[in-house]
Amino acid sequence: MRVPISWLREYVDLPDDAQHIADRLAMLGFPVEEIAARPVITGVVVGKIVAIEKHPNADRLQVCKVDIGADAPLRIATAATNVAAEQVIPVATIGAQLPHLKIEPRKMRGVESQGMMCSAEELALPAEWFEDGIMQLDPSTPLGANVVELFGLADAVLDVEVTSNRVDAMSVLGLARELSASYGVALRLPSFENPGRDADPPGHAPRVTIESTDCTRFVAQAFDGVRVTAAPAWMRVRLALTGQRPISNLVDVSNYVMLETAQPLHFYDAAQMRDRHLVVRDARPDETIVTLDEVERTLTPQALVVADGDRALGLAGLMGGASSEVRESTTAIVLESANFEGVRVRRMSMQLGLRSEASSRHEKTLAPALADIGAARAAQLLVQMGAHAYRPHAFGAELRTAAPIALAARDVERLLGLRLDATRIARHLEMLGCAVTVHGDALEVTPPAWRRDLAIAADLVEEVARMEGYDAIEPIEPAVPAHAIPSAQYELETQLAATLAGLGYREILSYSLQSPQVMTRVKRAGLTPSREPVEVRNPLSEDQRFLRWALGPGMLEYFARIDTPARVFEIGHVFSNENTVTEIPVLAFGFSVDPIDEPSWRDTNFLRLKGDCEALLRAVCGITVDATRDVRAGLHPGKTAVLMHDGREIANFGKMDPRVTRSFGVRLPVYLCNIFLEHVPEYRIPRYRPPSKFPSTYRDLALVVDLDVTADQVSRTTRRAIGELCLGVRAFDEYRGPQVGEGRKSLAIRATIGRFDATITDEEADAAIARAIDALRDETGATIRT
Amino acid sequence: MSELAARLDDVQARFAQAVAAADDERALDAVRVAYLGRSGEVTAVRRGIGQLPPAERPDAGKVINAVVERMEAALADATARLENRAFDAELAQSIDVTFPAIEPATGSIHPVRRVLQDAVAYFTRHGFATVLGMEIEPDYYTFDALNIPATHPAREGFDSFFISDSLLLRPHTSPMQIRTMQQHKPPIAVVAPGKCYRRDAVDARHLFQFHQIEGLLVAEGIHFGHLKGMLTGLCRELFGADQRVRFRPSFFPFTEPSAEVDTTCPKCKAQSAACGMCGGSGWIELGGAGMVHPNVLREVGYDTEIYTGWAFGFGIERLALTRYDIDDIRRFVDCDPDFLTQLA
Repeated sequence: MRVPISWLREYVDLPDDAQHIADRLAMLGFPVEEIAARPVITGVVVGKIVAIEKHPNADRLQVCKVDIGADAPLRIATAATNVAAEQVIPVATIGAQLPHLKIEPRKMRGVESQGMMCSAEELALPAEWFEDGIMQLDPSTPLGANVVELFGLADAVLDVEVTSNRVDAMSVLGLARELSASYGVALRLPSFENPGRDADPPGHAPRVTIESTDCTRFVAQAFDGVRVTAAPAWMRVRLALTGQRPISNLVDVSNYVMLETAQPLHFYDAAQMRDRHLVVRDARPDETIVTLDEVERTLTPQALVVADGDRALGLAGLMGGASSEVRESTTAIVLESANFEGVRVRRMSMQLGLRSEASSRHEKTLAPALADIGAARAAQLLVQMGAHAYRPHAFGAELRTAAPIALAARDVERLLGLRLDATRIARHLEMLGCAVTVHGDALEVTPPAWRRDLAIAADLVEEVARMEGYDAIEPIEPAVPAHAIPSAQYELETQLAATLAGLGYREILSYSLQSPQVMTRVKRAGLTPSREPVEVRNPLSEDQRFLRWALGPGMLEYFARIDTPARVFEIGHVFSNENTVTEIPVLAFGFSVDPIDEPSWRDTNFLRLKGDCEALLRAVCGITVDATRDVRAGLHPGKTAVLMHDGREIANFGKMDPRVTRSFGVRLPVYLCNIFLEHVPEYRIPRYRPPSKFPSTYRDLALVVDLDVTADQVSRTTRRAIGELCLGVRAFDEYRGPQVGEGRKSLAIRATIGRFDATITDEEADAAIARAIDALRDETGATIRT
Repeated sequence: MSELAARLDDVQARFAQAVAAADDERALDAVRVAYLGRSGEVTAVRRGIGQLPPAERPDAGKVINAVVERMEAALADATARLENRAFDAELAQSIDVTFPAIEPATGSIHPVRRVLQDAVAYFTRHGFATVLGMEIEPDYYTFDALNIPATHPAREGFDSFFISDSLLLRPHTSPMQIRTMQQHKPPIAVVAPGKCYRRDAVDARHLFQFHQIEGLLVAEGIHFGHLKGMLTGLCRELFGADQRVRFRPSFFPFTEPSAEVDTTCPKCKAQSAACGMCGGSGWIELGGAGMVHPNVLREVGYDTEIYTGWAFGFGIERLALTRYDIDDIRRFVDCDPDFLTQLA
């Protein structure tokens, strides 16, 4: 909210420096977004045109005699067309400084002009918000007075941010009160007495029927003798400084009171409503209203309206209707100063896509007592403008004083670590408008009527902290008590990331929300996703329609974007929707790589990926898990392996399905491993087995087996047949080709053989390998190549 | 001159010539075999000891051994000479050492994780555990349990992505406060880093997904001074020992008193009105904090007469942008290889 410092000064004495005030507001919880400085203007005083005559030498000029309260009137020539005798206007005297102009004596077509009458623009006010030509001041303005001081044109305007719990401070008075309490200086409140006469207007007294519990209080007051015209200059200037366009005296009064007190008001033209009777009720289905912005709106019963006996006159707390709008001919009005439930106003505002200054306050639920204060202030201003005010009528719940809150000095110390005595605490709270009684260490605090946010002791402790200043609280490191909360999940992620970085993978982050195009790409590749994706109800754009069901697509998009070989990983959650929404933490790592020219039955990159996967699991779980061939959507059906442990899939990995890779626009082959973090077993400390003190030997075997016999089968069989002499078996070469024959492949393995109690003899080794050959022949159909 | 001496002189002279003539190691090896080998010349001399005049015989062995030693030394010298000649050729080579290095396939962790880990490490050192949560949360954990009832205006301030009427992508990590306190009895000392989502249009300062680190300390005797102490320490850990930290009153439904936490701009040290990082204010906003609202403690069944606590939630991307002086938050998800390399 834009707050002219000059307006604040009406209620409280403040330092000169705008920055000082802004800093203080920030440390009270009201950060200042901007300090808009005003241009320097000097030498402008109030003058009155006492005589006016035509310029002797120029048809378009007039020469005015202007009384500025000095001995002799000034003679001022002007081209303005809105001047007339008896007008009171701002006059820039000789030597005056205006934003873009310095006033010097000069001759206008032979007549010496002793100054310049000013338009609003020359006083750095928005020209389009004020009258064309010379700005018109009120006749009662003292002549010779300094216009800049009179209207507060020199002080900066602050753009203050107010948190949603402090709607009372969405007002100049509210912020002035905060500053007065903080600086410890008096607050000069305007009177909140309603000047309404103890009488009702002839005909009907204003009457309100409240049919909805969402209207807590409604003050209605009738006025007549109203003359719709421009508001006085001081009010128009203040509104303009806050960024509010002056409209007419009635509209301006309602805006002014809202800016001053936070209470929004509405005026109905009494001639345009039936019997001065208002009804607050739910809108009827398909009821329509043309609002002040001249838009016809169709309502649902979720909308709350203020109606007369016939039709809706306005949207409660949001915007008035055009039908009962005050107009130039208006002479009698009914004032609404009401209190509504914030949720109701907020939902109506969202549903209609309509916001207003009034709704921005009502939607935070104002204090009901403000309704009476708002009416009183409006009545005072309208009476000043010559209107007749009748008796105000309040409807709805009686005003209740807030329940007192018990507070102990100990509460303050307990929450803030700040030891203050009860009288000091009481003083802070009283400055903010609380009523406080002190009994020793205990305080009984009744919050002021306008503060709905103060309900419990902790709320009061915050007030005390704000008044002392958060800076007054000494920072100290706490002694954190022992507890048994585990960090295992985080530690696993940290270790996985560190290990993968060590293996040469770079961590990336991609969006968890994806466009439907990702699904299209997968389908175009001829696949149906294995899981149903989770849909977001209210994405900002179609790019955010689905939650990712795997990390692979994001990685493919990355590879497509950078188009050079890369090794990356990502840790993140994936989501699917099978009856219920499930969320799984996953790690994916993989690489895009230049293809290797090698036979179709060999894939070196796959083995590299497998090596990285095994190394990773060794590092984080201390175990090696045997891979088995399987099929997973998105991976090449012949080049996919899974790692199972305790019946759960720890990982799957393989070459990505080339159709998918292409569908995502990736030129290079991609290899990918998914690790399901919830299935990764806890780290098991590996046991060291010392090597034999005696030399071992080895035997290499070249086997020919059927294509479906795996290296793993061959190794297991060999190991079992050799028995305890076997120190290790490892396949180290594979060959397929015409020499081996159709449907068969050659497999080379090396068996390391040895004893722990003696040097192995050639005879023992040969016997062991003979057992292996027999077993391999029987169990895998292997023949030995020589 | 004795006969033996004459024969040895002759052998040595020819040996010296042969060694000098040997041009590579193979030739040198042939010389060794020819003179010192099993059927070499020196061996022949040794075999001829019996034919020597008797007076020469007793010392002959010694004399021959001395000659053999000299010859072996000459061979070793020659070997070394040949080897060095080979090195000379290699040593004559030279390269342009300023030529760009060949990049190793180094890995790295993401700058967001790095900052997160540094922050966590600080809290770990002070006895905090680290807990992780889920990104889809029921509205109970996101709002209701945190003292934000359905009617609360603050609820719409978290402009959240909804999955269903009651499930949403968490707009903050604060649900972990409730989950941790439900799972464990006090004292509680945890940080909870994780990904959050809000319906923000993507620009240089905003992403619709971001990371937060939540902190929660609930125990007897915990007050606002402890919050200031820990967060001041965190800022100094992350940005430098001379960092100042400012706490400003603010409003969050789940803390009372509440604060916004700022730290001095590490780039301009509050010395530049034109600073691109802090916008000239001299301060960087880190996030919200405060004393846990009694309603939140009550919701999880903690006795508010015994326990007090504080909580905070900071944006990790904001910390990382500030720490590395990154101009655009989108770089965190673009993950340009050059970006990752520079910050690795």
